[in-house]
Amino acid sequence: MYNKKPGIIGHYFHEINRNPNTGTWSWFLHRIAGVVLFLYLFPHFLVTGSYFLTGSTEKFDFWTKAVQTPLFHFLEILLISAVAFHLLNGLSVTIADFFLMTRKHKAIQWVSIIIFIAVMVLTVVMFVPRVLAH
Amino acid sequence: MDEKVGVGGAWGWFLQRITGLFLAFFLIMHLKVLHLTSEWHLDFKVVTDRLQASGWWGVFYILFVPIAVFHGFNGAWGVIEDYRPGKASGSGIKAFLWVVGILLCIYGYLAINALLRKGA
Repeated sequence: MYNKKPGIIGHYFHEINRNPNTGTWSWFLHRIAGVVLFLYLFPHFLVTGSYFLTGSTEKFDFWTKAVQTPLFHFLEILLISAVAFHLLNGLSVTIADFFLMTRKHKAIQWVSIIIFIAVMVLTVVMFVPRVLAH
Repeated sequence: MDEKVGVGGAWGWFLQRITGLFLAFFLIMHLKVLHLTSEWHLDFKVVTDRLQASGWWGVFYILFVPIAVFHGFNGAWGVIEDYRPGKASGSGIKAFLWVVGILLCIYGYLAINALLRKGA
């Protein structure tokens, strides 16, 4: 516990400098991914709810079309990487917490990282054709 | 070192993990249906046909939305807590997050419901 309040961004540099281990990196990336997914929720709800909000199927089609451009399909890859990392890292934390496996956490984390890389390879293989299919 | 762990802190920790486990299932299903088995092109007809193909999708999303919103907002609170807000501003922020979260759940329910009922 430190008493000086670090700045919003400085906080992360501070933590990583103090403890530059896999656990700190996983905490940092988990947080970045979590914030991205939290922010993603709002435009996602707006696009999905555009029929409810406007009562017009044309408006719904307009907004769903607007998010099916090459740029958005590319961003989709980043979105899936955020989901996959946050999900797998979250599972590794939950396993360590619930099954009292803190001592084995580093090994569990590496397993989750390997699965994450495999998921990302599959995602890129699947999504690059979508990005290019326009 | 005399800081106390906030009341209900353990509940936030516990529920974050439980909702996370549910979300692992819901999100994998959600992404699988949207990206692996669905058409590439999305429009109103594709989306409503898919949602109305089974009555279970209504149940699925009515559970999924509040669980996702809780996990997101509880996580946001965890981020804010790292900056150690004062007691008054902390409870103000917490109340704000609850209100926005509950409104989002209601909105999510209405938005899905509109898609489930259209033309059904």
